[in-house]
Amino acid sequence: MTTAAPNAGGAAAILERHRHGRQERLAAWLRSRTLANSWQWLAGLVIFIVMLGLQQVMDPGTQRLLTSVFLFVALAQGWNIIGGYTGYASFGQVVFFGLGAYTVAVLMNNYHVSFWASMPVAILVGVAFAVAIGIPLLRLRGHYFAIATLGAAEGSREVINNMTPVTGGGLGITIPTFGAQAPTAYFGKPGFYLAFLIVAAGAVLIAAVLSRSRFGYAMVAVHQDEDAAAGVGINTTRVKVVAFAVSAAIVACAGGLYAFQQIEFYPTDVFDANFTVLMVIMVVIGGSGSVLGPLVGAVGLELLAQFLRVNLGTYNQLIFGAIIVVVVVFFPQGVVNFFRDAWRTRQFSLLDNVRRYRL
Amino acid sequence: MIARQAAAGPAILEVRNLSKRFGGLWALREVSFSVGEGQILGIIGPNGAGKSTLINLITGHLRPTSGEVLVDGKDITGARPWVIAHDRVARTFQIVKPFRGLTVRENVAIGAMNGSDPDSSVGDALATADRLLVLVGIEHLADAAPSQLSVADARRLELAKALACRPRLLLVDEVMAGLRHQEIDAAVELIHRLRDGGITIVVVEHVMKAIVSISDHVLVLHHGTVLAEGPPREVLADQRVVEAYLGHRYARRRSP
Repeated sequence: MTTAAPNAGGAAAILERHRHGRQERLAAWLRSRTLANSWQWLAGLVIFIVMLGLQQVMDPGTQRLLTSVFLFVALAQGWNIIGGYTGYASFGQVVFFGLGAYTVAVLMNNYHVSFWASMPVAILVGVAFAVAIGIPLLRLRGHYFAIATLGAAEGSREVINNMTPVTGGGLGITIPTFGAQAPTAYFGKPGFYLAFLIVAAGAVLIAAVLSRSRFGYAMVAVHQDEDAAAGVGINTTRVKVVAFAVSAAIVACAGGLYAFQQIEFYPTDVFDANFTVLMVIMVVIGGSGSVLGPLVGAVGLELLAQFLRVNLGTYNQLIFGAIIVVVVVFFPQGVVNFFRDAWRTRQFSLLDNVRRYRL
Repeated sequence: MIARQAAAGPAILEVRNLSKRFGGLWALREVSFSVGEGQILGIIGPNGAGKSTLINLITGHLRPTSGEVLVDGKDITGARPWVIAHDRVARTFQIVKPFRGLTVRENVAIGAMNGSDPDSSVGDALATADRLLVLVGIEHLADAAPSQLSVADARRLELAKALACRPRLLLVDEVMAGLRHQEIDAAVELIHRLRDGGITIVVVEHVMKAIVSISDHVLVLHHGTVLAEGPPREVLADQRVVEAYLGHRYARRRSP
């Protein structure tokens, strides 16, 4: 070795260490906090508070738009955990959205359960279904996993569609929201703005905490190389199933809230494959495998879509699609990842970037 | 080096009649051997002899067709790789497998977070990683991406990742292939130091020079079976080993 090496027995000494108690670790963590390593948390908190404050001066249209932005922030963060960090691109993630929505609707409509009691059940149903299909499906890799999850979502929609006595089937389902019939009073626009803001913030917070944890590193390791990950002691099956379940929990939570907001909906509404497609596009365009990527992707694309709808009329979908194509060509690794790498290496050339990531 | 087998402690790794069949091909057939605690066992053999298959069977990356693997007397045959890693068996891969998208330091820290007796926090694991990078001599590359590393440094990273799992038994798969002379010397010295630190080591290697200087005991695999076994110099003088490596004609010319 060229460097000054530790003496013989160095290996054993290096691996020796003292154990820290929980309190000791917390104290060490607090001591290690500086503005430089906490600004992201502070920025998140500031944005959350600004969003709360702005609600007071917002017109109803903007409020509605931002409510749907928050919905997609939560969905994109949810998808990113299994699709981005863990590297298992689920093309059926909408199944958890639909299950969450129907759990809330069925409980509130058929059994007069309050919204607050229905939501945890909806999340549990999403998690249970993720574990049930995740254990067999997460053995598949790449395209096979994508196709299998797509199949699971389509199949689940048909099951809900045919369970007419419980779900109302193709006739749809309605949540009683007014009068003595309502298990929980309707939130109204301001209430749902707040609720979706909290769900989105919760999703971002979960992603931020996970990504910095041992579990977060394990997800990245599984993504990069499962054999190597298993070789260093990572239970790859457990990591994949837990990541899928966390992702499902976030999506099911958003679905449950969406159901209450919509009041009345059909299986084709909440099992709409477009939701999955949007989750994937938002994460890929924003930058997968980071917390900021899905956030930027969801906010950017939802605002862009709205802008085009208002200003372009007939051709807005065409232009929206064209913009997505152009962004993917120039930023194959996602906008956030491009700017992070460009800032680090001081290379801002888009053409070089395209060449580097040419498939 | 003199044979240390007699002096070595009780068997930490014992392989009994291990076989692996891929379709109609026996990659490994009825292989048995044991490694004493604190020993360095060298496994050599021509391409396709079954060396990497053997390692994959021991670490659970492949399941044996028949036979047993015991670590410290405990039967681990067919267990999942992470279970075996928690039993303090670590390995490197012949084709290096860094976790891209993470720094060199984080790559090593993942081993420290998940191996046997893991660090309980990311911070502790990163500190362990820093110490290991010094040990293998790539601490100046801690913040680099694995893709920026030279062949020799990538191999050192593999070794550091395995060491971070706090192994008692380390399986090293061709860690010296493609290295220059100086780099091989450094790797040999490092492996000796690891053994002196209390780790039992199995080295699979192509490079003859390295095997002779490194091993207490050598096992020669050929067509999936054990061709010869013993102290390095004796084994390398064995007529059958010379034939297997260099062909019949060379062996005839050399022998009187």
